[in-house]
Amino acid sequence: MIDRFREIEARLKDQPHLLRLGRLFSETVLIEIEGEEIYLTFDKGQITSVMAGPSRKTPWRFALRTDADALEQFWQARPAPGFHDIFGLAKIGRGRIDGDILCLVKNLRFFKEVMALARCKEEATL
Amino acid sequence: MSIEPITGRYLSVEIAGAPRRIYFEEAGQGRPVLCLHTAGADTRQWRHLMNDAEVTAHHRLIAFDMPWHGKSLPPEGFETEEYLLTTEAYIETVLAVVAGLGLERPILAGCSMGGRIALQLAALHPEQFSGFIAIEASDFQPAWYDIDWFHRPDAHGGEMGAALVSANISPYAPNAERWNTLWMFMQSGPGVFRGDLSFYTRDDSLIGRLAQIDTARTPVHLLVGAYDLTCTPEDAQRTAAAIPGATVAVMDELGHFPMSEHPQGFRPFFMDALARMARAAAQAA
Repeated sequence: MIDRFREIEARLKDQPHLLRLGRLFSETVLIEIEGEEIYLTFDKGQITSVMAGPSRKTPWRFALRTDADALEQFWQARPAPGFHDIFGLAKIGRGRIDGDILCLVKNLRFFKEVMALARCKEEATL
Repeated sequence: MSIEPITGRYLSVEIAGAPRRIYFEEAGQGRPVLCLHTAGADTRQWRHLMNDAEVTAHHRLIAFDMPWHGKSLPPEGFETEEYLLTTEAYIETVLAVVAGLGLERPILAGCSMGGRIALQLAALHPEQFSGFIAIEASDFQPAWYDIDWFHRPDAHGGEMGAALVSANISPYAPNAERWNTLWMFMQSGPGVFRGDLSFYTRDDSLIGRLAQIDTARTPVHLLVGAYDLTCTPEDAQRTAAAIPGATVAVMDELGHFPMSEHPQGFRPFFMDALARMARAAAQAA
């Protein structure tokens, strides 16, 4: 699963509009997939580190906890209802968002679009 | 080059004892259909249907911007007022527009909070309308988010609101219309989306009124998109089940803003809803 996030890291470099949207976002985000921890560190909108956990000494601002199947469905070009959005995952009970949710909401478009960078390219929408 | 058939004008009415200048648009001729926009948006959500010659051949579509929205200014003194929409003020506004425009028992088509108030009007003022198309409408849902997020001095409420409601747009929506839909939220005045959501997420008074809706007199048809996280198909179906005689259709590839996010996908469902209203009127005649 961490390869998917390395793919996101690479694709983000080619998204000038996202780098502009995220220019004030310098935080670490925890993605937890069935207990597997992945720490994404952002600096001014760029991902500077994709680090596998577990870690007890990596502070994070907010976390998205979900399962591998849910994420794979989220990354389909046209996901099924509920799997089409990170808040949708939470709404259907396949995800949970913890931590500083206001920080996430202030950067919500940026973070959602970053997460969707691993989405299948064919007809993919956000 | 082309000029659209939609025309826009202003209506001056009194609401809650104070004057309001309300912007409205219309297109078409025939049976009047009064269209209500969602929270945090405006009349532009209806422009595709108003530009649809097949829809307007036999229907006069009218949409208006609620005060505080679009081109309708907030009331005098708004600068010190906390905008919080209420069921009572919303009902008074819709009825003032019906009376001000001299509409004779229009069909009322409302989406989201507009669908909610359509059902309130179906229960409380059915004599003013000939039928109700309640889109993404339900009895009540508490917020699954904090409505105060959308009115803060340290962040842009419109951008945050748009990012949130994008969760309610179907992945089948054409990209251009997805972003046109979100743009309206981005343009919404400070605190307006929050004030609309206050009505939508805190007033549960419709629940006890659903059973008094008389669909033999005024038909009620609900439409709900499968990708709507705010008013889910389950929410709409539960609501329809509580209204004797109401019907409901689930739109598999649509979300919470169907007439705006995916006009072509919504079109057949809206045409079917209008046909249902016409059949009910013919039976009653």
